[in-house]
Amino acid sequence: MDLSSLLNALILGVSIASIWLIAALGLTIIYGTAGVINMAHGELIMLGAYSSYMLQFHLGLPYLLCLPASFVIVALVGLALERGLIRYLYNRPLDTLLATYGVSLVLMQGVRLIFGSDPKYLAVPEIFQSNVMLGSVSLSAFRIVVVAVTALLVIGLWLLFYKTRYGVQVRAVMQNKEMAASFGINAGRIYMLTFALGAGLAGVAGALFGVLAIVLPTMGASYVVQAFLMVVVGGGSLAGSVVASGVTGELQSVFAFFTNDTFARFIIFVLIVIFLRFRPQGLFAQAGARR
Amino acid sequence: MGNLYYNKTAQWAVYVVFFAALGVVPLMVSDSFLLNQFATYGVYGMLALSLSLCWGFGGILNLGQGIAFGLGAYGMAMTMQMQSQTESNPIPPFMLNNSLESLPMLWQPFQSTTLGLILAVAAPTLFCAVFGGIMFRARVSGPFFAIMTLAMLSAFYTIILDRQAYTGGVNGLTPPGSFQFGDFEIDPYSPAAYWVVFGFLMGATFLTKLITQSSFGLVTQAIRDDAERVRFLGYSVAGYETVIYTISGLIAAVAGCCWVMLVQYVSPAQMDVSFSLSIVIWAAIGGRHSLLGSILGAFIIQGAQSYLGDTFLATWLLILGGFFIVVVRFLPNGLASLVEKAFGLFERRDPTSSPAPDGGRPLPAE
Amino acid sequence: MKLTRRNILKSTVAASAALTLPHLWLPKSSEAWGATLKKGEPIKVGLLFSLTGSLAVPEEDSTLVMQYAIDEINKAGGVAGVPIEPVIVDAKSDFAVYSEKAKELILRDKVIALFGCYTSASRKAILPTVMQRDHLLYYPTCYEGAECTQNTICTGPLANQHSQDLIPYMVQNFGKRVFFVGSNYVWPKESNKNAKVWLEKAGGELLGEEYIPLGSSEFGPVLNKIREANPDFIFSTVVGASDIAFHKQFKQEGFKVDKMPIASLTTGEIETRAMGAEFGAGHFLSAPYFQSLDTPTNNKFVESFLASKYGKNGTTHYNMEETYTSAYVFKAGFEKAVAAVGVENVTPRIIRDHSGGIRVEDDVSPEGLIWIDENNFNTWLKPKIGQCQADGTFKIVKAAENHVAPDPYSIYPDAGICTKDGLKAPDGKIRKSVI
Repeated sequence: MDLSSLLNALILGVSIASIWLIAALGLTIIYGTAGVINMAHGELIMLGAYSSYMLQFHLGLPYLLCLPASFVIVALVGLALERGLIRYLYNRPLDTLLATYGVSLVLMQGVRLIFGSDPKYLAVPEIFQSNVMLGSVSLSAFRIVVVAVTALLVIGLWLLFYKTRYGVQVRAVMQNKEMAASFGINAGRIYMLTFALGAGLAGVAGALFGVLAIVLPTMGASYVVQAFLMVVVGGGSLAGSVVASGVTGELQSVFAFFTNDTFARFIIFVLIVIFLRFRPQGLFAQAGARR
Repeated sequence: MGNLYYNKTAQWAVYVVFFAALGVVPLMVSDSFLLNQFATYGVYGMLALSLSLCWGFGGILNLGQGIAFGLGAYGMAMTMQMQSQTESNPIPPFMLNNSLESLPMLWQPFQSTTLGLILAVAAPTLFCAVFGGIMFRARVSGPFFAIMTLAMLSAFYTIILDRQAYTGGVNGLTPPGSFQFGDFEIDPYSPAAYWVVFGFLMGATFLTKLITQSSFGLVTQAIRDDAERVRFLGYSVAGYETVIYTISGLIAAVAGCCWVMLVQYVSPAQMDVSFSLSIVIWAAIGGRHSLLGSILGAFIIQGAQSYLGDTFLATWLLILGGFFIVVVRFLPNGLASLVEKAFGLFERRDPTSSPAPDGGRPLPAE
Repeated sequence: MKLTRRNILKSTVAASAALTLPHLWLPKSSEAWGATLKKGEPIKVGLLFSLTGSLAVPEEDSTLVMQYAIDEINKAGGVAGVPIEPVIVDAKSDFAVYSEKAKELILRDKVIALFGCYTSASRKAILPTVMQRDHLLYYPTCYEGAECTQNTICTGPLANQHSQDLIPYMVQNFGKRVFFVGSNYVWPKESNKNAKVWLEKAGGELLGEEYIPLGSSEFGPVLNKIREANPDFIFSTVVGASDIAFHKQFKQEGFKVDKMPIASLTTGEIETRAMGAEFGAGHFLSAPYFQSLDTPTNNKFVESFLASKYGKNGTTHYNMEETYTSAYVFKAGFEKAVAAVGVENVTPRIIRDHSGGIRVEDDVSPEGLIWIDENNFNTWLKPKIGQCQADGTFKIVKAAENHVAPDPYSIYPDAGICTKDGLKAPDGKIRKSVI
């Protein structure tokens, strides 16, 4: 093997990392803020893909507009979910895991009843259906879009959490809910908004994944476990998830380059277990977070 | 007088009645399909029991119970597969297709039925002891341990898929004949197979019940409720957690062996995340703090899946998911807590006995 | 108080006993299927496919087309004058449920034959039951071979039939250098072994061989390796959702279909529709059947199937057609068995024993004449090569001139030959039920 193919593998790693990361973003802020283990996250991703499909197929919305639209639709679903179920379970984190698993079954079957179990597809502009060559390095245009959207979202979230009043409130609630409440912060409202935001991010991820792969009722299941691992390895913080996804994506790409895809996955899982053995709190655990 | 639900004598009486009722089933049922199906439910009951022990009584949520179950099942399937190999035909057909010339080392011990059975149970148990020991000593607990088991489960799943020459890959193992033990051949459709599963289920339940009522069991329940306090009292929390996790794995491994005896088949699907999650569902719906409740949870969910699944074809998953949400939301301790509450109504209000305040009270055994 | 507790228990036990009660009167059925067909009762067959879950996409279509075939047969007077009644179950894409449902169909519903499964994994899951009860499974799709049981009849192409024409055709038209990509399980691996034999004969060169985990949708690393190897064409045995991701990312990564087409064993009409025709156009598929096959029988089949209540999904493809012909293989086998032993003595095994050599003629079989091999009970058929067009249909660019014989052990000559009674090893010993 020569240098350029290794370089190709490294650049591909960035793309794989962005996919892992965007799948994990919503989960990160939900888990990081409210401690909710949302097993329905994969199904929210699936809903994002289906909303894009619906908007495109029935309303003829251009693909790029489908991204924000999916965000809104899935955020509303998340809001309803939080109001209807999750808010009763905040003090029982393991039960949120169970209840949201029930939600994931309902969402999956509900979508199957409405849209049927045959796969759908998302059309994208012709410009995203080719690749870009930079010397000997090749990247598909759409993968660049995914990396760009992920980067924008991460920057946006960072600004939101560290530069706005809402962000200050979120961090206050994370550190000490009661104390924050005594300063007049409505913790329930913060949780609700954060959950909706996290769900919306899953919706965007779904709209992107629908183009890379396939739109199916079962498509979400394959993302939820890996997204979880990213969040836990990262420690539930935004920076943690970014680093965890980055490292994992690169490792996956490099291992797959030297061995095969399946074995690469196996190594990653084992490495994660070993890592968590020595650092169960994850890469960057938030100081003072209640856990 | 307290709630009868907590009366040990009454509890044992219920267990005896329950197993007596299960025991007479083969005398009443001559439909071999039904017998085989009931026996399979028994295996699922055993799995729910094992999870109830480690989650309900040890506070360790294990999303990877499929590891012990699957390893046990693979061990048993390898044993049964080797039983059907002969002198002239020494290695399983799928290995020939994967260009293996001779029996790999991994398979050698399974040529002996006894050794194979021992390995099928010992290997997963040992894995649990080592994995649990390492993790609990590092004080990994709660949701973190749950996620670790999930990662470990996925690792096993992937490696079994990938090493097709040794494991059969996605297709899994399909031993063509019934299990033979000494001179006996256990036809999976016979009452004998039912009795075997029934025996193991009863043994496992009584063993678990004794553990939870012992002082050891009381310590694990204390750990479940507040690990820090127990640690300050000088107990080795990691030690207790490892033991309870390992026993739970042992029961799951036995369940895996029984399952393969009944269905003559194992594949990586038994190590899929969704299967392990359904074990959690059984225990959660039945009531994780109740051994019997968990077993019944498995019976109810799997029974409903078999019998209502085809009737409500399109909506079955909706019903299951909805039911599950409702139980978690309104009955966090499962259906068993309904029974507990029902008996609570008969409870005589006795001012001298101080009933624990409601909500967040540590539950005694059952 | 204890009494109360016991009373409750008693009633619970009674209730659960009541639930099981109806089964108490069922006759004992632990023996092999030996019950006789009663006068005036229909023939029951089991349809064991997944209607929910990840396998539902192909298998729901199989169920529909099977019901269509049964309706058609019943309208024409049934089988040996008796109507067929399908017993439909849902295997939920779960291999353990396949096993459970197979038992239920065989032992409880007492069907006389099973039609089912789409994957080798589910077939392997039910075969122990089928063999132990000496029952009969019609497996209506392609598989890898290397199996010799006395209880299956397969109407799809074996690995040796599948790539025999495709590889030489691609080598001739596009060049010698080829890259193999497949899903990581037994069928792609066995198919690739067969393809290698044909590749060697055609003078081709294998540049690389990669396997992707089932269900994975990340093809970046593989496409990088392909880019580096720069083959003349790709030979693909990727299945299901992964296959769709593979074709999409192939185009998104800038690969050009006219320079490096994918020659696939799986990407048919349904897959193309799911990915969007622009991603499928130009690639090749080897199959015994295409919807666009222009014969009177096929035109009639497509038209009346799509017009029927079972044609709601709007396509026919090779898998459905193989399922459809299996119904007629069953019909012919059953009628031969009835003629030989009388209707009251027919068992699944007797049907199987009379199915060797059965022909489904041009005027019934949409893909054209096929017949069942008398030794290994797989199907003689004519593989065809189609190229996907911009509208998602396939243009047939080559059809085999002669029928190709199925040979389950073509690449394992040392294992022996599959005969009617079992696998005959080179030393003359016969082993039954080899799976």
